[in-house]
Amino acid sequence: MLFLLCMIKGLMRDRVLNGIFCITFLFLFIPSISTLSMRQVTALSITLSTSLVSFILFLIAAFIGGTLLWKDFDRRYIICLASLPINRSKYISGKFVGIAVFLLLVAVALGVCSCLVVYVTASLYPPDQPVVWANLLIFLGMDYLKYVFLVCFALLFSTFSTSFFLPVFGTISVFWLGSASQEAFDYIQTDGGARMPALAKLLVKAFYYVIPNFSAFDFKLAAIYGLPVAPSSVFMVLGYFTVYASLILGFTVIIFSRRELQ
Amino acid sequence: MKQALICLALLVLYVSLMGPFTRYMQQKPYAEKLGYVAAPEVLQFVAADQAPMISAGLVFKVLVYFGTLVEMAQNKIYLPPDYPGMFKLIQGALRLDPYNMDSYYFSQAILTWDVGRVKEANALLEYGMKYRTWDWYLPLFAGFNYGYFLKDYENAAKYYKKASELSGADLYTRLAARYMYESGNTAYAISYLSVMVKSARNEAIKKSFVVRLAALQGIYQIEQALEQWKKTHSTLPDSVVHLQKEGYLSDIPLDPYGGDFYIDADGTVKTTSQMSYAGAESYKKQKAAESADKAQ
Repeated sequence: MLFLLCMIKGLMRDRVLNGIFCITFLFLFIPSISTLSMRQVTALSITLSTSLVSFILFLIAAFIGGTLLWKDFDRRYIICLASLPINRSKYISGKFVGIAVFLLLVAVALGVCSCLVVYVTASLYPPDQPVVWANLLIFLGMDYLKYVFLVCFALLFSTFSTSFFLPVFGTISVFWLGSASQEAFDYIQTDGGARMPALAKLLVKAFYYVIPNFSAFDFKLAAIYGLPVAPSSVFMVLGYFTVYASLILGFTVIIFSRRELQ
Repeated sequence: MKQALICLALLVLYVSLMGPFTRYMQQKPYAEKLGYVAAPEVLQFVAADQAPMISAGLVFKVLVYFGTLVEMAQNKIYLPPDYPGMFKLIQGALRLDPYNMDSYYFSQAILTWDVGRVKEANALLEYGMKYRTWDWYLPLFAGFNYGYFLKDYENAAKYYKKASELSGADLYTRLAARYMYESGNTAYAISYLSVMVKSARNEAIKKSFVVRLAALQGIYQIEQALEQWKKTHSTLPDSVVHLQKEGYLSDIPLDPYGGDFYIDADGTVKTTSQMSYAGAESYKKQKAAESADKAQ
């Protein structure tokens, strides 16, 4: 618990984080920007709010999550830690839980900002379809899980990297590829995809099963347009997250336990 | 001290550059402003989880471009709009977010009246109906397009019925029947545009509707006078002026696009502007060229 509190305190002092938090001021402009829409002012305010939430969580996951271990290596804290009777797996798990809790706090704060913005816009410009607040909460929950999932990859890359380049840019690349993998997979099922060479199709399929599928966590359209969300889809994503994230964390612990710290 | 002086010099340089830079940006060709946008398939791959946001951005880009053109046209500066570019951007926006109502609304407002690509507009509306299953605006637009532009009354009735079912009122069915069969096409279009003007939030779109509505009201006024004329005459009047001189028309309405209303050989009322600023300009140039030829 103390480790967790110290970690969150340390994260709050991070200058990169202060820079990221400056972006939250953009929430103030969303109601006025949304009025530029011709027919869907409230939907546009939800679009902008959810996009901003995703963007901020992404920056934290990639830039704070990606440099979490590297900072300890860079400042030689890790050597002091090696002399203490702390299990390495506990250290890595603690780091993961710490950033996951921190991301949760940020997601809750951003969620409150989003709801306020949407409430103000919807009060000023009542939408044709009422705002489905439950969908907005589902979006926030799933977006939070998506970026916790991304942090798992940031930690995995940090365990075998000596600089912050691989953890940060590797995380960004995995995120981008993981967001596009479903599109690529869907494409090979179409008539256009059927004309692709068999080897290319096989590669896309292999790639689809190995790379994390971040698009599964995307409930933005449901939040924006109040589309029905099947409980089964939420449970399916939760199951996917639990299994895949545990697997990545397991690999992370194994690699980190075998790493030479001197 | 030296560093501060360098910074100050750079600041002065920046301030002096801003004037010409702003002028350059304002004079930049408008087609260039609309810019190049990657194919929708590529956009889908690169958008990651920001697809709805990018979609909204593309629609906003088209709106700003169109708004600038409308303002310029009102200041008597006519630039040919890049309709294919706008259409491409709207298609890209819809691929990223098929629920984006602004895209459908803009397509309906511009593609039909200004470009005459009614079938493409209807294809977009039918695509939208697969997603926005609750929205009665889309079948309303499609019904109007089928009835007014394509004269396909069977499909028009089908979509008006759908709009009535979704909106919970049979207003649109009644409107369609009343105006299409009792009052004719112009009154029907006036009724439709009046509703659109009231609900339009974007100024550029609203202005384009208001101008078109004024033109249609002018045509309707002449059509009414022509109907009265036909009751007592077996032939058509020579011109709109003739109608006025004979007392069937109090004033000759002005075409807000800058053209002149005339009675076509088939008895329909038309305008030389073809209901566009560019059409009026083109007609004036053609007339000026003809006059010059005659003078020679």
